[in-house]
Amino acid sequence: MNKTHVTLKLDNVSKGFAKIETDEVTHALDHITTTMESGEFISLVGPSGCGKSTILRLIAGLIQPTTGTLTVDGKVIEGPAPDRGMVFQKATLFPWLTVWDNIAFSLKMQGKLKGNEDKVENMIKIIGLEDFKDDYPAQLSGGMAQRVALVRSLINEPDILLLDEPLGALDAFTRMNMQDEILKIWQRKQQLAIMVTHDVDEAIYMGTRVLVMDAHPGRVIADITIDLPAPRDRSSQAFVAYRNDILNKLHFGGRNAS
Amino acid sequence: MQGNQVGAAESGKLQELTKKQLLELEREKKSKLQRWMDLVIWLLPFLGGLAAVLEYTQIPDNSMNRNPNTYLGFLLILIVCYAAYCVVSVAALTKGNRDMIDQQRYRAPLFTALFLLFAIYDYLTLKTGILTQPFVPCLNFVLNAAWTDRAMLLDCTVHTLMLLFLGYFIGVAVGLVTGITCGYSKRCRYWVDPIIKFLGPIPTSTWIPIMMVIASSLFGGAVFIIALGSWFAVTVAAMTGISNVDAEYFEAAKTLGASNRQLVFRVAIPHAMPSIFQGCTQAMSSSCTAIMIAEMLGVKSGLGWYMNWSKSWASYDKMFAALFVICFIFTVVTKSLEAIKRHVLRWQVGVEK
Repeated sequence: MNKTHVTLKLDNVSKGFAKIETDEVTHALDHITTTMESGEFISLVGPSGCGKSTILRLIAGLIQPTTGTLTVDGKVIEGPAPDRGMVFQKATLFPWLTVWDNIAFSLKMQGKLKGNEDKVENMIKIIGLEDFKDDYPAQLSGGMAQRVALVRSLINEPDILLLDEPLGALDAFTRMNMQDEILKIWQRKQQLAIMVTHDVDEAIYMGTRVLVMDAHPGRVIADITIDLPAPRDRSSQAFVAYRNDILNKLHFGGRNAS
Repeated sequence: MQGNQVGAAESGKLQELTKKQLLELEREKKSKLQRWMDLVIWLLPFLGGLAAVLEYTQIPDNSMNRNPNTYLGFLLILIVCYAAYCVVSVAALTKGNRDMIDQQRYRAPLFTALFLLFAIYDYLTLKTGILTQPFVPCLNFVLNAAWTDRAMLLDCTVHTLMLLFLGYFIGVAVGLVTGITCGYSKRCRYWVDPIIKFLGPIPTSTWIPIMMVIASSLFGGAVFIIALGSWFAVTVAAMTGISNVDAEYFEAAKTLGASNRQLVFRVAIPHAMPSIFQGCTQAMSSSCTAIMIAEMLGVKSGLGWYMNWSKSWASYDKMFAALFVICFIFTVVTKSLEAIKRHVLRWQVGVEK
């Protein structure tokens, strides 16, 4: 088993946001309780406003829950840390740093860059951007930028990898390529990966478990384990069955509704 | 050329095409006439220079002209400079670098115009006196004055530059500190904002008479005024730059393990750099204005003072000489700042499409 096996527990987590214009409160998350472990690839899928990104930001430590606790191996999450790496929908590469320096950013911040330059080189090799390592982010395409953002987080070898719709802004072909790339990286290290998406196909294709969420208030309405061998066939009967099941739960089911 | 293009494509060598070859292939084709015109325009500055020399040597002077060879030497130096430029460009061309000679061809009409401008100016002043001597002195007078009074001019230049840079750098340094702290901390902005709102609209030169009354040394007072103007420009620019940093960059940096200090120095400041540089450029132009006013009103040295002083002695040639020196050093200072900015902000190339 993996040496750095972690267990992430959400215990009765709720999060409300004060609305700016009115006196009301948005209930982004309502009493979420679940457990996630290393080796799992969890897809959070649901309509916008269901709080899936909020869950990710809570786990990252960027925001604090209104009530309830989030713990990693029993320790309460108090703030962001590099062992919980996050990839955002926008690549958010630092435009004033080259590709190399962007990937090295995290090591540099922690004072660990010296002697670890080969780690950076290795990351660049994984995403195949050797020819672009001295370029600035403005010169990269969307797919390339997102690859860099991915390995920029991976260089810390995080126990938990948080993916906030990382492929949302990419075209369909780049997207499918990147899905396989992310899976390959995840399969090697077997971290706990949690990905937000609103693409049901993507959720099933990549996830070992799909949490289906609904809005008003944000809550988990189904927790489905995807029991299909990898690589998955998007057109197989079992795959389509999963898709129909999830779409039905989200009230989008049409034909084949059971 | 067309055949060449097809040939490269047909033989399947398109992949091996270098960027330079590609640009060469896709360059707009020029007709023979256009190429001849390019050559003529390229050589036109020599003609302009010759015209200026002939105008000066052949037309009889209207007023007395001492040391007449200074201006002639100046013209010849300029012509030699252009010739040297030609040699360098041609040398680059033989090594396959077209850019330099294209750029020279682009600038050639301007150089020609400069020579013609010299000739016209000389004609209006020395040759005909349409512009009355010695109030609008001809270039030969100005050059002679600059040469004979070079020690003093140099001294004044050094003084002006010292004052300028001392005030500027103090202002920029303090401005960076206040601007960055205020951009980052709301409490700091609470105290500094009113000062900026209150003092900001006052033009820097307003302070000069007050400084002349209260400052113990005029030099110190002038430094303060220049620093104040720069401080203001840089503070405002840095503050806006820092407070406009997208939250997503901070969030990304936090998940990558950056401390609060690093968020300021590694994220906020680099992100605000374009804005900060804009403030620095603005500060420089306000400093240049302030220093001239300060030197003309109170400070007893420097180029501004020299201009005023020569005017009171009716040495208009010296006055013009100082004007040219001022023009030259301010151009150099601004260009240097521009070059530094381009280097530091090289990552911006392609960001703003």
